[in-house]
Amino acid sequence: MVNIERFSSRWGLVISVIGIAVGTGNIWRFPRIAATNGGGSFLIPWIIFLFLWSIPLMIAEFGIGKSTRYGPVGSFATLLGKRFAWMGVFVAFVATAIMFYYSVVAGWCLRYLMMTLTSQLFQVDNHTEDWATFIGSGWQPAFFHFTAITIGALIIRKGVVHGIERANRFLIPSLLLLIIISAVRAVTLPGAYEGLQFLFTPEFSNLLDYRVWLQALTQNAWDTGAGWGLILTYAVYMREKEDVPLNAALIGLGNNSVSLLAAITIFCTVFALVPEQAGEILQTPGPANTGLTFIWIPQLFYQMPGGAFFATFFFLALTFAALSSLISMLELATRVFMDMKMSRSKALSLVYVGTLVLGLPSALSVDFFLNQDWTWGIALMVSGAFIAIAVTRYGAERFRSQQINSEGSDIHVGHWYNYLVQYAIPLQVVVLITWWFYQVIQADPRGWWNPFLPESVGTCILQWGVVILVFLFFNKIIADRTLGR
Amino acid sequence: MSVWALITMIVVLGILWGGFVAVLALAISKENRKNLRKD
Repeated sequence: MVNIERFSSRWGLVISVIGIAVGTGNIWRFPRIAATNGGGSFLIPWIIFLFLWSIPLMIAEFGIGKSTRYGPVGSFATLLGKRFAWMGVFVAFVATAIMFYYSVVAGWCLRYLMMTLTSQLFQVDNHTEDWATFIGSGWQPAFFHFTAITIGALIIRKGVVHGIERANRFLIPSLLLLIIISAVRAVTLPGAYEGLQFLFTPEFSNLLDYRVWLQALTQNAWDTGAGWGLILTYAVYMREKEDVPLNAALIGLGNNSVSLLAAITIFCTVFALVPEQAGEILQTPGPANTGLTFIWIPQLFYQMPGGAFFATFFFLALTFAALSSLISMLELATRVFMDMKMSRSKALSLVYVGTLVLGLPSALSVDFFLNQDWTWGIALMVSGAFIAIAVTRYGAERFRSQQINSEGSDIHVGHWYNYLVQYAIPLQVVVLITWWFYQVIQADPRGWWNPFLPESVGTCILQWGVVILVFLFFNKIIADRTLGR
Repeated sequence: MSVWALITMIVVLGILWGGFVAVLALAISKENRKNLRKD
């Protein structure tokens, strides 16, 4: 194996991994899901699943990446044998397929940031129409998708320390500062107290509703970055005697703290400015689930003293969150090709051009975007299961003692970890996928099997099936190119 | 604010923000100790 770059310090690694975890999901999805699932009563299962899903998977990813020093494909082939390289390819492909449309999302954030910086945002009369015109124009989302992925590629091109670490050392503290300032401003608005009351009041009957628990688990699966293979990729660059469990706990708690800050900001702002419409604003998903962010937030800031200033803060924070996550997805795909003995610049060029082209359909069609978001969002659960299976087949006890409680580890992880990774995570995956499919079947009893509908069981089975078959067919070639014959 | 909202807020913020600060403090002290040993 060639010499692999290392993060310059523990804090470089932690800040970069927080950059993976904190994304647009923390800022625009979490507040809406918390509002629609009972506020305070949602927060309880959401915290429980942080410890049952996110942190154990983060620990697993750190341990795998640090011990194998390969991206997802090489890691799976090393841990489980070359026959199972396809599982790593699937994990890498899911994150890459998400990157194709996440770059479009980062582009949307950039567009709104540009509008606030050029003072155009508050000149818009009808934000719903403006959003529809923007999305329907085709060239505009494509242009901003190109811009976002180009910025990401320019960062990645410089490598781990001078690219990823340096960018995150700027993006993440700035993002935290922006969110904290926004939150302080929001809670000091007259009437903001109603927002806090709504966010934190528990409706105990909701705790008996299994859907609240499943939404809480889903939110953890989607917004902490655990089980995506991204943390595994950054772990490749960990220093030799680096801690695993304490870093995982720090990142998990940090990520969910940011989500809560974002929710406090949004709930307080909405309740302070438009209390009579608060429920509708917080609970309506809007087009492509972006209603709150791109339609309501500009209108809310317009009504607030100093709104232009705070709107810029908000969209800057959103753009930073999107970019810090986007670069980790770019790095994952680039790492896979680098493991196949390609140079960084060649691997990155391939990934960059691929993302430009394969992100275009999502930039041009909202239906295509929704289909990809649905298909690969659910596939993330399968990725999480594959990571748990990799640890289980390697031997949970051996993994815990050799890769987690290794030299440099700050705290000792007990036997409880074996049970979580062997049983609790696979069980959560089975329950979640069954529930999501059941919901689709309930909502559309006639069309759930149709693979050509944007959100159907059929489209998942078809797309997952095709990629798994292709990866199985090329398994030996991929494994040999990665690990050598 | 209702009593239950206040209790939930204290518990949630305590676990997340308090937990984050506590883990960060522990990580900093462990890291400082490692660096001292290295020196």
